[in-house]
Amino acid sequence: MKNRLKVLRAERDWSQGDLAERLEVSRQSVNAIETGKYDPSLPLAFRIADLFDMRIEEIFLRS
Amino acid sequence: MPQKVAKIETGFSGRHPALWAIAFAAALGAIAYCEHRGFLGGWRSLPFVAAATLFLFPLTKAANNRQAAAGALSPATRRYNRRMLIWNLGYVLCLGIAMTVRNYLHPQGALLWGIAVLPSVPMIFFVWALARYVVEEEDEYLRYRQTSAALIGLALVLLAGTLWGFMETFGVAPHVPAWWVVPVWAIGLGLGQMIMASAERRADRT
Repeated sequence: MKNRLKVLRAERDWSQGDLAERLEVSRQSVNAIETGKYDPSLPLAFRIADLFDMRIEEIFLRS
Repeated sequence: MPQKVAKIETGFSGRHPALWAIAFAAALGAIAYCEHRGFLGGWRSLPFVAAATLFLFPLTKAANNRQAAAGALSPATRRYNRRMLIWNLGYVLCLGIAMTVRNYLHPQGALLWGIAVLPSVPMIFFVWALARYVVEEEDEYLRYRQTSAALIGLALVLLAGTLWGFMETFGVAPHVPAWWVVPVWAIGLGLGQMIMASAERRADRT
């Protein structure tokens, strides 16, 4: 599944480590989600959406 | 569970964990060869086995360093690595005791049963440590990654075990003791982690 995580992160000038710390996950998790290698669970997707103050479907795109 | 950013150490413990694993396996292989040729055996082997076991400490530290540098060292992973070290030490200790008692006391009956079972006892801790990791890991991607690697290890055990078993049944391969399932599973786990890391690097490049 494609997502806009990398762009949203860059807009805020956050590193992968910064985002990982805010989401309380590993940096490797952020990297795997950003590159589309791993689709997060619904609870984590909601946490990501809450962090960026957006809806899930505004971050994760139907491929 | 914020992850600390760490860089790969370049010193003694900064080596790739696989190198320490190979060094450990090579040392045990060399000891087995020396025993086979009659240079070592019984009590004379124990100091060498103990020295080879020391490789497990830098192996664990190198694994921690590597995972920290990759942003993948969660508290659950750190505990899992420590438990694997404890299991490895317990396994070597129990195996050493069992072999020594067998070689010097030539036990029969209940004692023979006892030492035959002894090296398998640490496996209870090993299975418990695996289960605890899955329960304790709060990072869903790391849990998925480790579980996938473990399943690749299981696939290798099933494939190799079935293949070898039938080759034995049809008399075209020598007998291999069943305790080889653990080393084969560990090799599969390592392969699985390499496959996952390779997929991550490919995803990074695209």
